Amino acid sequence: MSNLRQQLPCAFLSLLLAASSAYPADWPSWRGPAQNGVSEETGLVASWSPIWHADFTGRSTPIVLDGRVFVIGRRGEGIEHEGVVAAFDAQDGTLIWEHAYNIFHTTIPFNRVGWASLAGDPETGYIYAHTVSGLFLCFDRDGKVVWSRSLTEEFGRISGYGGRVHTPVVDEDLVIISYLSSNWGSHTPGRHRYFAFDKRSGELVWIATPGGRPLDTTYSVPVVATINGVRLLIGGNADGSIYAIKIRTGESVWGFKLSRRGINSSVVVAGDKVYAAHGEENLDNTALGRVVCIDATGNEVWRYDGVFAGYTSPIVHDGRLYIIDNSANIHALDAETGQVHWIHNIGTVGKGSPVLADGRLYAPEVNGRFAIVAPGSDAAETLDLAEITMPDGRPAELFGSPAVAYGRIYLSTEAGVYCLGNPAAQFNVATTAANYPREQASPDATPAHLQIIPAEVVAQPGARVPFRARAFDAQGRLIGPIDAEWSLTGPVGQLDGNTLVLADAPSGGKIVASAGELTAEVRIAVLPPPTYSENFEGFTVDASPAWIGTGTKFKVRQIEGNKVLVKPPAARGLHRANTYLGAPAMTGYTIQADLLGTKKRRAVPDMGLIANRYTLDMMGYHQQLQIRTWAAELRMAKTVPFAWETGVWYTMKMQVEIEGDTAHIRGKVWPRDEPEPATWTIQAVDPLPNRSGSPGLYGYSPAEIYYDNLKVW
Amino acid sequence: MTLTICSLILALAASASAQTAMWGGSPGRNQVSDEQNLPTTWDVETGTNVKWSATLGSQTYAGPLIAGDKIFVGTNNQAERDPNHKGDRGVVMAFSLEDGAFLWQIAHPKLPAGRVNDWPQQGVCSTPYVEGDRLYYVSNRAEVVCLDTEGFRDGENDGPIADETATAPTNADLIWKFDMIAELDVFPHNLATSSPIGVDGRLFALTSNGVDEGHIHIPAPFAPSFIALDLQTGDLLWDSDLPGDQILHGQWANPAYGEAGGRKQVIFPGGDGWVYSLAPDTGELIWKFDCNPKDSVWELGGRGTRNNLVSTPVFHDGIVYLGVGQDPEHGEGEGHLWAIDASGTGDITETGAIWHFGDKNYNRTISTVAIADGLLYAADLSGFVYCLDAKTGTHHWTHDTFAAIWGSPFVADGKVYIGDEDGDVDVLKASKTLELLHETNLGSAVYTTPVARDGVLYIASRNTLFAIAEESQ
Repeated sequence: MSNLRQQLPCAFLSLLLAASSAYPADWPSWRGPAQNGVSEETGLVASWSPIWHADFTGRSTPIVLDGRVFVIGRRGEGIEHEGVVAAFDAQDGTLIWEHAYNIFHTTIPFNRVGWASLAGDPETGYIYAHTVSGLFLCFDRDGKVVWSRSLTEEFGRISGYGGRVHTPVVDEDLVIISYLSSNWGSHTPGRHRYFAFDKRSGELVWIATPGGRPLDTTYSVPVVATINGVRLLIGGNADGSIYAIKIRTGESVWGFKLSRRGINSSVVVAGDKVYAAHGEENLDNTALGRVVCIDATGNEVWRYDGVFAGYTSPIVHDGRLYIIDNSANIHALDAETGQVHWIHNIGTVGKGSPVLADGRLYAPEVNGRFAIVAPGSDAAETLDLAEITMPDGRPAELFGSPAVAYGRIYLSTEAGVYCLGNPAAQFNVATTAANYPREQASPDATPAHLQIIPAEVVAQPGARVPFRARAFDAQGRLIGPIDAEWSLTGPVGQLDGNTLVLADAPSGGKIVASAGELTAEVRIAVLPPPTYSENFEGFTVDASPAWIGTGTKFKVRQIEGNKVLVKPPAARGLHRANTYLGAPAMTGYTIQADLLGTKKRRAVPDMGLIANRYTLDMMGYHQQLQIRTWAAELRMAKTVPFAWETGVWYTMKMQVEIEGDTAHIRGKVWPRDEPEPATWTIQAVDPLPNRSGSPGLYGYSPAEIYYDNLKVW
Repeated sequence: MTLTICSLILALAASASAQTAMWGGSPGRNQVSDEQNLPTTWDVETGTNVKWSATLGSQTYAGPLIAGDKIFVGTNNQAERDPNHKGDRGVVMAFSLEDGAFLWQIAHPKLPAGRVNDWPQQGVCSTPYVEGDRLYYVSNRAEVVCLDTEGFRDGENDGPIADETATAPTNADLIWKFDMIAELDVFPHNLATSSPIGVDGRLFALTSNGVDEGHIHIPAPFAPSFIALDLQTGDLLWDSDLPGDQILHGQWANPAYGEAGGRKQVIFPGGDGWVYSLAPDTGELIWKFDCNPKDSVWELGGRGTRNNLVSTPVFHDGIVYLGVGQDPEHGEGEGHLWAIDASGTGDITETGAIWHFGDKNYNRTISTVAIADGLLYAADLSGFVYCLDAKTGTHHWTHDTFAAIWGSPFVADGKVYIGDEDGDVDVLKASKTLELLHETNLGSAVYTTPVARDGVLYIASRNTLFAIAEESQ
């Protein structure tokens, strides 16, 4: 066929190519409709041939759905640095809509914003975005926000600082996102947890914590596969394992410990085999990295050692496995045995994953190289190696993977979004129908799992939360609603049938449902009310409030006959922590507290308040006062000299006023024993205002910090 | 009395003749050796010309260092040679030079703060300095450590530290430790890595003080970056808080030492992209030079044009040679290589450059140059090896290894040896004309620089130390 093509005149070739586009389809998630990096399309170009290019700064993989290309990335200069989701017309690259979002409460730098890809749902047309700040956004195809959650302020999500943020996965009625979280109560230990939301409403359906202590911040994207009749979500975990969990319930099925570091690369499933890779320490030898084939029960079939394929996802196709290692070598292995057939270099740094389509590998390399490779049986041949550059000539960063749809290839890079294809070929949008099995158990099946929805409650006093219970069989199939007995643990409120009326005072507890032999429980956080004062005298010593992200990082202690909230130095991990004590939708409030910084040898703390996603920080070492929203990118930050002493109580006061399209952030600090000064100590202005956000406390504590007399009004 | 004087004279004689060993071979750090009859070809898979090999951890960045009849490597604990030390540790291993037999090791637990101060699985990245029977390095815990090169194999527990609980022949014998976090409030960014050098009884090191996990805030701007310790006691002689709050990221480079303009100087690459020359006895500034163009911009995450100094300077014939770079995680980018006249004083940024190689011709580097017979060999992170005229900077050739280079060129026996991230070692002819004599793969990435002794080449891949010699097998 390829020989024949070369002999054909160009015009006829174009016709042939157009006609041979037999399977034009959407590319609704980063690895494509089959989640394996393989496209059935033909007639794709064999050389770098852009049809259109759109200005955009991207770092992840586009998705293509219903004639539109959706990308996430970054934009703006200086004070206007922000994240952005955009939709382009797949045919001609016309910008259809853009949605900019603010970045806050993170140490991820600007150029790593948008590393997690979007996910699309062919059934609803919805697009899901997970931002570096932990906003989880659901858009309709026209860019309207259908629902959003603030994972940081509701569930104690930790952003990390490397920029590795997880990509959502959509299946049936759920959209699933995972991240590291360290919250209150039983979720105090930092873990890589999975949260499944109702894809239409954003209601939380289940939380799963399959693994142990996280070893890294990671970004392995799980895949969905039905193996032995069980619908599974299979992904790499920050604890170094691969876990398979039942996708409708979050129950663990098997785990496979692969590495001494967190897993970043994504698995691929072919038949009943799972193929996984990593590029760090193995458990059992001194080789670095491994590709492994795992069977349906979570046992190893074969291994290929010493390849550090730490970031990319493999392809399994026609008995071959292809994977790009960290140094941008493509390894072709026998999928049955793991035996290597060839290794082919395309550059120096491999982070994006290749796509196999039309008999070729389309393979990205970080330093702007885009290789089109013909994989042979004993060797590979590079057909074309494009070098994408920035206007100043340096290579454009290319972290994402290609998307293949409608006979074209789409790529999101630092230098823009590219559409590659044959301009003479006819352009057809053929949407791909959602392929969700939704198999149900028979109504008389034996219930094996009880699910309570919502799966966690974070709400203010007096809120009414109706619960419902559903039963699933052992295969993870829905049986249907089930009557349950409900009970409460902790002073979280009163039950009215299956509706919980939250108590007036903040607290943490749980609701327990039981049906026959099965029980299930859901955590309840009654947040402080919008008007709130707390002097900690009602707490027992060593207790921690059930505020978001508090864990045991903040504890009540008795200091000279007075109870205060203390942030001691971290025994493990970072001294830095935020705790949130109100709903993310709060705005227009003032927060005030007394704070005291202690001294330990030369170490002194930084401490402060949080309002509307801004931090007011009294910095000890630097003897400065700062207002900021994004610690890694001080885009709107204001810093003033401010001398303060350890061992002395200060009162801090902060408020954020939104006027039109501007936020005015004001802070005041004075020695507690003195009268409040009339003027603000520091003021900042933000042209990209955070329009709401939970009130909270901030601490960076190489030495202890005390907080007392907290007020929000 | 007579006896005391005799012992004193003996001690002085011993100290005067004490053998030294360090990364780069000499305090000038020029990785050139007059060794001869070194191998050009070998094959670790078939064993051809492989004299011996020894198992290291899974990541190895320090050494190999030959001192006396031993060879030392800094690695991680993936080999778990000591059953009392499981899991992640920073490890220094000592092997017999003759046959690769494992002699002893030390294993340092990780810091509780985690990756921001002590990155997982990176091991000890500091190549030791050895003087006589004392070995000095910086641990992953940001301690300057002095060990007995014999470990406990000599049956003696040398002090002042004498409370070691593990005293088997395979354990290390601690002499003293200087904890830079406890003593100086240093906040090492990601890892303390400095390979120290000793001159005239002083030990020089960088502290690796840097930013916190937010990458903007420097938690300890008043903690020093450059220090000198007493070789015998570990006491702090002086510290310099340059570059203070100007540090851009971490400080992972090593000091070098030399003489120019009639002054002895210790050269410290700073985390602000400036290189500093300090007086070895006082720590006072002699000169400083900004290795970045004035219009360069530092950007978080690696895309900017302003760089750090991760490479080690080479002090050769009164000239300091140094290239700029960044954390390899930040990716590739524009680089600059400088030849700086070290005879000046004050800020010599405008006056000190003898030549500059860079702009679009040279990329970010963490490698150190080597100078032999008037030719300078340099490598960059993008995988290119360059040959320049050392006096003029005139470019002779560029060789592409097709993989990232972290290690440095080693020149001996008319050959340039350089390893890359794919595990290839390229042997090039040391000449104005490019000639690749041989390329062979070690089976795992090479992040270190080869060394040689008595016709044997020693190379550490990420997980194995190889001794290579002609007609070994």
